[in-house]
Amino acid sequence: MRPEAMARHQGGMWPWLMQRVTAVLVFVTMAIHLTATHLLNIGDLSYDNIAGRLAHSGMALVDFTLLAAVVFHALNGVRMVWLDYSLAGSGRRVVDVAFWIIGVGVFFYGAWALWPWITG
Amino acid sequence: MPEARFHIKRFDPKSGVGAHYDEFTVPYEGSLTVLEGLFYVQEHFDGSLCFRYCCRAAVCGSCAMYIDGRYRLACQSNVNHLKGDVIVVEPLPHMPLVKDLVCDMSEFFAKYETIKPWLIRTSQNPEKELPQTPKERLKLDMPVDCILCGACYSSCPSVWTEGDYLGPAALLKAYRFEVDSRDEARRERLPYFDNERGVYRCHTIANCSEACPKELNPTEGIQWLKRAAVRRRLFGRLK
Repeated sequence: MRPEAMARHQGGMWPWLMQRVTAVLVFVTMAIHLTATHLLNIGDLSYDNIAGRLAHSGMALVDFTLLAAVVFHALNGVRMVWLDYSLAGSGRRVVDVAFWIIGVGVFFYGAWALWPWITG
Repeated sequence: MPEARFHIKRFDPKSGVGAHYDEFTVPYEGSLTVLEGLFYVQEHFDGSLCFRYCCRAAVCGSCAMYIDGRYRLACQSNVNHLKGDVIVVEPLPHMPLVKDLVCDMSEFFAKYETIKPWLIRTSQNPEKELPQTPKERLKLDMPVDCILCGACYSSCPSVWTEGDYLGPAALLKAYRFEVDSRDEARRERLPYFDNERGVYRCHTIANCSEACPKELNPTEGIQWLKRAAVRRRLFGRLK
């Protein structure tokens, strides 16, 4: 293996960095979500309570951030495991594109489920 | 006179026989290192036994082997300190085998070379020496002790699954020069470790730190390189 060949392998910083950033986001937003859902509304997960909670723009932002961070963190983690098994060249790009399509699809599905609660 | 029983993994690609174990009993007085035991076997029982050695003082890194289920240097492993009746001696796992206890290290050293493991200077060298403060020298204390034995490389699961991954030894050496106050590589060395075949392939499993016979911590060095790479790319810091 020549040094020039090694230098051609670029990238890797953003997936690594974003995995750490989304980990912090998941920790914070999950804590807020669980506190708001299970501590402040103990034993009362009724439609009205959930609708009331999501009517607050701050809580809606927390839940959207949680959704985006969880989807990215989970799929990026699986992608990293996958790439450990030497997917070079075009195979790698296929995996990247596939995970982006799945991720965006899952996020919009989640957003579609959240949207009616927010807009009332 | 006490005796040490060695269970040695044998493999000769020319013999047509697959890998197998041979057992030898070596008498000794006082103490005996595994390397001395291997010499005895070679001289008295089987001259075809193949193994690497050089300094016999845990400095050259040639005799790294998998001894009694752990990565050790044969020259600094005293049989009196090994538990069990039989001492199992095997080559470094997950490495291409040449013969018996000798592995093919060519890929290991090719990867090592890619990170430019030498002092890179851009400014004029002073006429005499390049002084360092004790604090600057302290940063080199850990990585400078690497003897390139390959134990960390052989123990790393990321190396097992990703053939192009540089591995802990090369990255520890990159760290050794990146923290050196005299090195001025700045962005020159960065592209060779700041990628998915470099530092980002490390998942901080820390097998390397556990395997290292010199008790170094390559994982720590790799984590430092990751932080340095992010700082350099996002904030333009060069050191």
